[in-house]
Amino acid sequence: MAATRRLQKELNDIRQSGLKSFRDIQVDESNILTWQGLIVPDNPPYNKGAFRIEINFPAEYPFKPPKISFKTKIYHPNIDEKGQVCLPIISAENWKPATKTDQVIQALVALVNDPEPEHPLRAELAEEFLKDRKKFTKNAEEFTKKHSEKRPTD
Amino acid sequence: MSDTVQPLSAPISLSTYHQLSLTVESATIRNSGLFKPNPYLQVIVDGKVLRKTEVIKNTLHPKWKEEFTVLVTPLSQLMFRLADHHSFRKDHVIGEKKIHLLKVLHYFNGKCENVELCIDLMKTVSQDGTAGNNGVKVKTADLVLLLDGLRLDPSILSQSHEVLGEATNSRSPLNDGVRARIRLRNNSDSSRSMLRTQNLRPPPGPPPLSNGSISGVVATENGAGPSHAEHGAAESSGSGALAAHSSQPPPTVVTGAPAPATPGATAAPAANAATEEPLPPGWEMRYDVYGRRYYVDHNTRSTSWERPQPLPPGWEVRRDARGRVYYVDHNTRTTTWQRPDTERLARFQHWRVERRHVVAQGNQRFLYPAPHPPHPPHNQHPPHAHQQSDAEEAPAAGSSSGAPNGGVTIVSGSSSATSAASGASGASVAGADDGLGALPAGWERRVQPDGRVYYVNHKNRTTQWEDPRTQGQEVSALEEALPPGWEIRFTEEGSRYFVDHNTRTTTFQDPRPGAPKGPQGAYGVPRAYERSFRWKLSQFRYLCQSNALPSHIKITLSRQTLFEDSYHQIMRLPAYELRRRLYIIFRGEEGLDYGGVSREWFFLLSHEVLNPMYCLFEYANKNNYSLQINPASYVNPDHLLYFKFIGRFIAMALYHGRFIYSGFTMPFYKRMLNKKLTMKDIESIDPEFYNSLVWIRDNDIDECGLEMWFSVDFEVLGQVIHHELKPAGDKERVTEANKEQYLQLVTQWRMTRGIEEQTSAFLDGFNEVVPLEWLKYFDERELELMLCGMQEVDVDDWQRNAIYRHYTRTSKQVVWFWQFVRQMDNEKRARLLQFVTGTCRVPVGGFAELMGSNGPQRFCIEKVGKDTWLPRSHTCFNRLDLPPYKSYEQLCEKLNYAIEETEGFGQE
Repeated sequence: MAATRRLQKELNDIRQSGLKSFRDIQVDESNILTWQGLIVPDNPPYNKGAFRIEINFPAEYPFKPPKISFKTKIYHPNIDEKGQVCLPIISAENWKPATKTDQVIQALVALVNDPEPEHPLRAELAEEFLKDRKKFTKNAEEFTKKHSEKRPTD
Repeated sequence: MSDTVQPLSAPISLSTYHQLSLTVESATIRNSGLFKPNPYLQVIVDGKVLRKTEVIKNTLHPKWKEEFTVLVTPLSQLMFRLADHHSFRKDHVIGEKKIHLLKVLHYFNGKCENVELCIDLMKTVSQDGTAGNNGVKVKTADLVLLLDGLRLDPSILSQSHEVLGEATNSRSPLNDGVRARIRLRNNSDSSRSMLRTQNLRPPPGPPPLSNGSISGVVATENGAGPSHAEHGAAESSGSGALAAHSSQPPPTVVTGAPAPATPGATAAPAANAATEEPLPPGWEMRYDVYGRRYYVDHNTRSTSWERPQPLPPGWEVRRDARGRVYYVDHNTRTTTWQRPDTERLARFQHWRVERRHVVAQGNQRFLYPAPHPPHPPHNQHPPHAHQQSDAEEAPAAGSSSGAPNGGVTIVSGSSSATSAASGASGASVAGADDGLGALPAGWERRVQPDGRVYYVNHKNRTTQWEDPRTQGQEVSALEEALPPGWEIRFTEEGSRYFVDHNTRTTTFQDPRPGAPKGPQGAYGVPRAYERSFRWKLSQFRYLCQSNALPSHIKITLSRQTLFEDSYHQIMRLPAYELRRRLYIIFRGEEGLDYGGVSREWFFLLSHEVLNPMYCLFEYANKNNYSLQINPASYVNPDHLLYFKFIGRFIAMALYHGRFIYSGFTMPFYKRMLNKKLTMKDIESIDPEFYNSLVWIRDNDIDECGLEMWFSVDFEVLGQVIHHELKPAGDKERVTEANKEQYLQLVTQWRMTRGIEEQTSAFLDGFNEVVPLEWLKYFDERELELMLCGMQEVDVDDWQRNAIYRHYTRTSKQVVWFWQFVRQMDNEKRARLLQFVTGTCRVPVGGFAELMGSNGPQRFCIEKVGKDTWLPRSHTCFNRLDLPPYKSYEQLCEKLNYAIEETEGFGQE
């Protein structure tokens, strides 16, 4: 209830602003604490597909930050095999109750577009990214083709 | 008998393992010699699993009543072998019999519940009387067994016809020396209840099963595969009773609705189920109107979005006599209310490992090397000598029973008694009009023949000289005038400090000349000493001793059922009896309790209450140091009784001067002391939440769209609990103007949410044994010290494992710091450690294993602020903010304040 009002407002704002890189937002009206949506990156090698993510808000939101996980497999140094992602803006130390979900999503999209190999979750991908960018790009593209969702056409 | 059935080629459902409860009840052995045998029974399942009953000596009619749980498939063969135990010879077989479980299952149409089997045990005897292949089978004994808890889908059984062919085509397989019948409940009441008490009861406390009713055991069949899941869904989707109960997160709208309408959704379960483990027994998968999958637990009549993990091997679901579901772990022979999942099991594992070190830890704790002699105030004799009995005999009827020894009775709240008293005795100075308000409930003020006033606590039958309303407070009688420009102020918690407006500084030190040593405090000793822990402790001990009761109480326990045994014995006694000397006996262990045994008992039991399976307490904040009440404790239906019990137990530890394994959180101690909780207190239990509150406090919130109202939510066991911080709080927006009030209310709520009832029950139990007023001498940190004791602190190890921020190992403040630590005594060190880490205890593995709220966190000293500041601490990060002081003396002075004075100032 307490979180619901805030989330309802954030959701309306996001839907109205029509984020280009976050589409197909699905929220079940009976449980507004869980959102799903498609991340649509601009940069290669991820610009050939779209990636479904889930955002889970705790009941104590906005005292506690939301958690994000990828439902679509992605070949990315900062996102692990389980779909977990380490995003500083929603870490315990940095979280502020005024942080809005659209800022979180934009930070996430930026991270997907430009990996940060300095803080990797998958060290082997970070190494490949730094040492053999061509190979990394090729692998990531193949992986995207195979696993990612179709990009929305409109 | 056909012994050749091979389970290898059987279809899956027939080779699936199930739990079968098997009770070996008794046997009757045919007499065959001079001596009576020492019989015991072996149970052999498929030639592998072997269980053995106890040996019963020298009898032809052994009675065991032992229950085993064995894992069986419907195709299992059970072999029962009765043997005679010899001390120095090989045991000799009296008789044996093999049974095909499938035959029994067929006979009872798949249901093996409360089935009594009478089996003829046979022995092959050759003509010359020795065992051999060519001999004759002779019946040597009758065996009575009870099988329970196995139920199979008859359709699965029908498959067995094809598998077994001839073996099952007769419906009379039980004629071969095996008789079976379903035992009615009442027949077996006595025997079953007895066996249950010996075995696995529901987790701590609920009354043991009164009978072994059939319904007492939830079917342990396996949900076996997709076909079953769908079958179940179709069968129960119309069940209104269940639908009414599925009130939890999943779809309340659609329960009771028939199976999913969309073809896509119908296809899904089969596909998914094929790739996943089968659901645990009693669970079912369903889809709501949105096509989302959810799970129904028919055992507990609850629903969940998460797919249940199947119970780990050796676990079983049961229901107690009151219909409540609980879980049995046959591996450890324990029970719990909460369904075990990976996390809970990991915590349990951790707890079990810890348990091994518990006693060793206990031996390292101390408070002061030698017990201090009691320190009676004013060197007078306590009033208890004769009035004690008076108080005991007529605790509630104070005024009518009068005062036998010329004493005058004044019952608080009774004005007529008061006036009569003051008329009768001029000595009762300032009776009820002392401006302190009424005495706490249950207390009474009395006067000795010599005119001295004392106080009787009828609730727990204690007496004391001190007024409970002012107990532990510093009564400053004659305050000298302060130097010009000085002012006395009090922190939010009521500690006194001094403001020097001349220099714009504050200090806890009284600026008046000779203040600490000069004027005598309220107790007639120098005030500085009055504030020392040692002195407070002796005051407390004195109260304990002067209220001790003669003789002792015996508490007899078994180590295996420590918690339950302790619970029953402590709760059975009137609380005041618990102040008698304790005499603890561990069943089966010799040894007199001259203190050592009870010391061990306090330590073990205090660790036992932490057992994660009891769900009563949890570690605050992931670091394994301090305990807080688990808001989910209500999964244990009798949790409040347990909290009351634990309250009594903790009070006993204080009263008898024993230590407990693990302390509570600082906010919890503050609650015991009835101190106001502040925002800063949240930091130690929920730093994330605290940071958000600080952010709200420190920023202008009007422009940032927080969308906050005077209402809050939190989640327990998957349920969101909504709370309005004030009437119509849902309609009042939080703004910059009213956020002060909001923060106050949120703080209050955060510290009490979900644990209020439990805390009250705990305090109730505590207060029955030790009046809470007695604690008022202490602050929360001293309370922990008393409860947990101190440990020798290894300063080398501490220094070796310290880290620094904005300082280095060789910074002069850091060098001073360690110099300061080395010259302190153990109590001071413990308190410094407590100031920084929140606990006065060192981890088992030393300082290298110090834990913070997010895992391992070394002791850290950070350079923060200016030299006029006091040091601060962040207990969840084990961090000390040490300003760059200019001299060693300054550093000592400031650190001493921080340690000695209560929080609020030192920490904020």
